[in-house]
Amino acid sequence: MWLISRCDLVFRRRRFVVAVLVTALVFGMALVFDGVKRSVRNEVPRTVEMFGADRWVVPDGVTGPFTTTAVFPADVAEGIADDPGVRRASPVVLSRSVARVDPDKDANLIGYVPGSIPPPPIEDGREVRGRGETVVDQSLGLSVGDDLDVGSRTFEVVGVGDQLRYNFGAPTVLLTLRDAQALTFDRGELAMAVAVDGTPSSLPDGFTALTNDDVISDLDRITKPGVQTIDLVSILLWIVAIGIIGSVVYLNALERTRDFAVLKATGAPNRAIVGGLAIQSLFLSIIAAVLAVGVAWLVSLVLPFPAELSSASYAQMFAVAIAVGLVTSLIGARRALTTDPALAFGAA
Amino acid sequence: MTRVEIRDLTIEYSSGGYAVRPIDHLDLTFDDGQLVLLLGASGSGKTTLLSALASILRPTSGSIRIGTTEVTELRGQELAEYRRHTVGIVFQAFNLIPSLTARDNVVASLRSAGVKTRAARARAEELLEQVDLGDRMRHRPGDLSGGQQQRVAIARALALDPPLVVADEPTAHLDYIQVDGVLRLLRDLAQPGRVVVVSTHDERLLPLADQVVELTPRAVAGSRPPEQRTLAAGEVLFHQGDHGDLVYVVDEGCIDIVRECTDGREELLARIDQPGYFGELAPMFGLRRSATARAGATSATVTGYTLRDFREHHDADTTALLDDAGDANPAP
Repeated sequence: MWLISRCDLVFRRRRFVVAVLVTALVFGMALVFDGVKRSVRNEVPRTVEMFGADRWVVPDGVTGPFTTTAVFPADVAEGIADDPGVRRASPVVLSRSVARVDPDKDANLIGYVPGSIPPPPIEDGREVRGRGETVVDQSLGLSVGDDLDVGSRTFEVVGVGDQLRYNFGAPTVLLTLRDAQALTFDRGELAMAVAVDGTPSSLPDGFTALTNDDVISDLDRITKPGVQTIDLVSILLWIVAIGIIGSVVYLNALERTRDFAVLKATGAPNRAIVGGLAIQSLFLSIIAAVLAVGVAWLVSLVLPFPAELSSASYAQMFAVAIAVGLVTSLIGARRALTTDPALAFGAA
Repeated sequence: MTRVEIRDLTIEYSSGGYAVRPIDHLDLTFDDGQLVLLLGASGSGKTTLLSALASILRPTSGSIRIGTTEVTELRGQELAEYRRHTVGIVFQAFNLIPSLTARDNVVASLRSAGVKTRAARARAEELLEQVDLGDRMRHRPGDLSGGQQQRVAIARALALDPPLVVADEPTAHLDYIQVDGVLRLLRDLAQPGRVVVVSTHDERLLPLADQVVELTPRAVAGSRPPEQRTLAAGEVLFHQGDHGDLVYVVDEGCIDIVRECTDGREELLARIDQPGYFGELAPMFGLRRSATARAGATSATVTGYTLRDFREHHDADTTALLDDAGDANPAP
């Protein structure tokens, strides 16, 4: 039956080419959306884990260090560091500002004491060592040695990383704790959380310790509606893909009703006829998926948002493409199986 | 040796809710090597009989035996094997797969029977050479004339060298030049080890046939004495699906014309009183009776006339209606 399916693909090639191109566009969009979703999902744990903390100490009532505006004296960290279960306690400032690049971009500010947390993931340059220095995400378009204006201050870029993002892909600017305090607060040595390496046995009054999972869950709450929207759009895109390929396969099956009747009348087994349709649908779907890889790559070049197209994304898309191929072949198969072979007799 | 025996075959199906019985208690025998022609008007059951021979249509009752195989008992895999290996079908509308070349149309049949690709191609080329299409193997059906397409269809039917070939109106879509080649081919197919059954309206095939089966009995052209019948209340004069060559005039009582439905119900179409007439369409057009006629609530007397006698012996008004195929009465 592959002979018939292959020749039919060639015979009706214009229709199939249009269907494959449109489906490739749909698959490509779905792939990009999946990449965006993965990026949003991954940036949260990546950011939290960057600090190498086991616990996050924040004022009571605060749901997480990245979403709070509550502040406290930075020297609270010193008391926590004295706890025997704590190896390191680093006061941090986690706020937001505007990076004055062209065009201006909202950025996450992270202020920390250099050397108090593991080195951030830097692709080029080094980590911050002193005041006036910054490490930035590459999406700001800056290079080592460039100046970056944040608020009323100018910083020298000493390092660039490619995964320094959170809050739905917003770039992060890493500064010394002092610089971050100066930018965020009018005065005072304040902090917004203490990243603790170890497990404190007791905490100062009015403070609570959150686990990494608590912090991740808190940050995920912000991105959840966005991720759900992406999931919904992805499902709609898969349905559109099923609709496109399904309508072409069904139209094809309608036109080939007499062929099916003849094949059945001449003893071709149902499994061969259905197998031929399944091969045809799968072929269309998989070719569209292959083209979608290129479409997704092109779209991701102009997308103002990071899309993490991993091998898992591609594997998922091909799995969905196969499912789409099989589901759509059922549409044609039903038509083929219900065709009465007696239809082959009589005038056309 | 291939011998086809059809015994007491009846095929009934539903059409628009009404029971249609194009084949009614048919007995036929086709001997090995014969070219058999099935002649008859449209609706006389030619294609229905071919469908039953090809085991595409299951008869209501009766037997079709080809060699030692009882066709009506085949099911599942045996049925598929029968369709593949025992019967080759030539369709009226050629029914070639438009996306395949002439050669691949034949190859597809062989491949679906499990023949290896290389052997299938060699066999297809051999058959297409036989039907004089050696130079058209790579043409698609759309690039072939009707006669050429029908020859490809014949090659396809012969792909697995079946002992029975059935051809449904094989010359219906061909002009007189194309018909010649197809006729010679059909004649050549009928040889020891094979029976060829062809349904046709085309009387040019008659001289080629070893056996002609007329599924529509020829109407009585001349005259014969009128047949008067007295029917008891409810007694049937003729059944829906019967052949008939008489037009009936009601002499006394009344006749109910009823149509039998598939679900067993009956639909009263008309009640004919004296001096009405009924039953003219079957003899006029060689059709089977399209309804049942029986006496009404009381006994009735009718007289049956041949068409010619009916026209001669009845008044001008009545026969004018008949000549116009008028709808004064339903005319089974």
